[in-house]
Amino acid sequence: MRSRQFWMVPITVALLTVMFAVAPSQAEVYKMALSLAITGPTSDAGNPYAKGVEDYIRYVNDTKLLGEDTVQCPIRDDQYQTDITKRNFEEFLDDGIVFYLNYSTGSTQALKRDFDEEKIPVIPASMDAGNLVDSTYIFLPIASYSSQCIALAEYITKNHKNGTPQVAMFIHPSAFGRGPVDDVRKAVKAGLKMDIVEVVEHGKDLDNTAMLQRLMSKKVRYVICQTVQSPVATLIKDAQRLGLTAKTFGEDGKLTFVGAHYTGGNDLIELAGSAAEGYFWTTSYALTSEPGKGTDFQMMLAKKYNRDEKTANSHNYTNGMMVAQTAVETMRRVKQKGGKVTREALFKELNAMNGDNAYSPGNTVAPVTYSPSDRAGVDSVQIYSVQKGVFRAVGEPFAPEYVEKIKK
Amino acid sequence: MSYFLQLVLSGIVVGSIYALSGLGFVLIYKSSRVLNIAHGQIIAAGAFITYTLTVWGGLPLYLSFFLSMGVTFFLAMSVERIFLRRLIGEPIISVIMVTIGLMSILDGIIYLTPFGGSNFSFPEFFPKTPINLGPVSISWTQLVGVIITFILIGLFSWFFKKSTIGISMRAVSDDQLASMSVGISVPRVFGLAWALAGMSAAAAGGIIGNITGLNFETLHAFGIIVFPVVILGGLDSIVGAVVAGIIMGVIQQFASGYLDGKWGLNGTADVLPYIILLIILLFKPHGLFGTHEIERV
Repeated sequence: MRSRQFWMVPITVALLTVMFAVAPSQAEVYKMALSLAITGPTSDAGNPYAKGVEDYIRYVNDTKLLGEDTVQCPIRDDQYQTDITKRNFEEFLDDGIVFYLNYSTGSTQALKRDFDEEKIPVIPASMDAGNLVDSTYIFLPIASYSSQCIALAEYITKNHKNGTPQVAMFIHPSAFGRGPVDDVRKAVKAGLKMDIVEVVEHGKDLDNTAMLQRLMSKKVRYVICQTVQSPVATLIKDAQRLGLTAKTFGEDGKLTFVGAHYTGGNDLIELAGSAAEGYFWTTSYALTSEPGKGTDFQMMLAKKYNRDEKTANSHNYTNGMMVAQTAVETMRRVKQKGGKVTREALFKELNAMNGDNAYSPGNTVAPVTYSPSDRAGVDSVQIYSVQKGVFRAVGEPFAPEYVEKIKK
Repeated sequence: MSYFLQLVLSGIVVGSIYALSGLGFVLIYKSSRVLNIAHGQIIAAGAFITYTLTVWGGLPLYLSFFLSMGVTFFLAMSVERIFLRRLIGEPIISVIMVTIGLMSILDGIIYLTPFGGSNFSFPEFFPKTPINLGPVSISWTQLVGVIITFILIGLFSWFFKKSTIGISMRAVSDDQLASMSVGISVPRVFGLAWALAGMSAAAAGGIIGNITGLNFETLHAFGIIVFPVVILGGLDSIVGAVVAGIIMGVIQQFASGYLDGKWGLNGTADVLPYIILLIILLFKPHGLFGTHEIERV
């Protein structure tokens, strides 16, 4: 009896060893999450953005991009309200997320300290440069609003003829709108040759006649818009009615309208109709109206998950897709190096995403690069303008020079 | 001088649209002393119904415009029948709270439709070239908007002053018990007031949507933006809504045209109307044309 017991122990150990060796390793689930405005203010941007994130994560799991490992990414509506965002974030933390996608400028800045305390890498939809001040774990997806506005200002100065261009800024009455104003002013101080004649914070205006004529009386020739599409649509429709819209860039005696990421896209054309013609816009994303490898993938993804044409062609769908791509790529790299996918490992990997390790998601005009001293993803921007009802690329992508100059 | 005239004209245009948007508040308050906080959502719904009928239904814009007024007529009447009829005789604050709840419900319903999270625009219906009146200009959309506003306001004024139902509505507004004692159906009057308010909201939505494009946030905000207009005009006065709307519109344009950008001022167009509203209310607490009720204690 004793000898039987004696043999049972090594046999059991041997059997267990064989079982563990033969059985496949346990698949991991990487948890990330997104809180954004699917309803409420800016939900017109939030909706396609959420779909972009959702579709890419489904694609990763369906095509086993991370092998047997999967990514879980619950998406919750915060109605553009910071208190709801905070509640969502806290619940996501309880679920054990290792990566977080946030949305608005207000909530990103309000939760900065929480992100630092939790040491969790965050990519918000907001591209406000202020997100990076006094924070370590926030990474902007593309060039900041400030960089975009400076890029537009540089484009104006390079293409303006006859003297110093007189410029007005038309901004959203919030932190999101005001953010880039100081940086553009700094660029002017640093040597960018233009005059900022006026900064206009818009309301819910039905008629911009007074404002447009006031700008004309001050010899303003360019209006840099940093807001959302709807007020820009009303503005450019009024300018068209008053016969003030420039037919060519910088036409003398007329107004040329230019704008940052959230002012443009197909929604602007939808809202403004023919008044959008000749509107100049900048973003770091590739557009489906200028097809390429990245946009082909985007169209395939949208088709695979039965998205309508409007969503498939939305630059906010691209935006959502791209942040999900960046998060998943970071996880893949950590995994490839044999590390455990933790908040700390992802943070380190994001900071190493530069030089030869820069990441090209395909739907941006330049690679995504992060480092401890540069947490804005894509540093270059592309200027687009509306030609015959679609946005067309104007020139080549470029990195605005004054972004670095004003840092010094 | 042409600058001044252009500002006046723009002010009248904006003010007329404010008046039409505020009319729904007045119609409901005039008959039931209730403030409908969900009015902005009905404005947005009217615009979306017009769009649906025009773009997806293939109907001409003008026909969709009138049909949407019909749809919101019955929609608002149903809302009153389902949610508010039971509250007749209950404290006004309860009814107002119900309209706040109604606002959330309508928000939720609209967010379930494509209009909740996307932008749309009416097909270009009017000529793009503006109408030049000497040194000033106005777009076709604005001109038609102003004409529709004045026609509707004229019709409603006539309705309240001359028609039997309109006079019944005024009677209910003055004294519900006395009205019932002479055989007026108070619930029917309330239902009709809501229905007419819904109709005017659809008209406002159609006009605003043509100017700004169809964005839910922008459209329903007009329910709040016009609130100072109806307070200034007097909550129960149709003429008051028109006069106050034009005052507000002109003040906004003058503030934007003459004050903004000078002496470091900015955004005065959004603030000045409220300052003037406060000053006027100091002297006329019931608004410019509101009924001054004398209560005997």
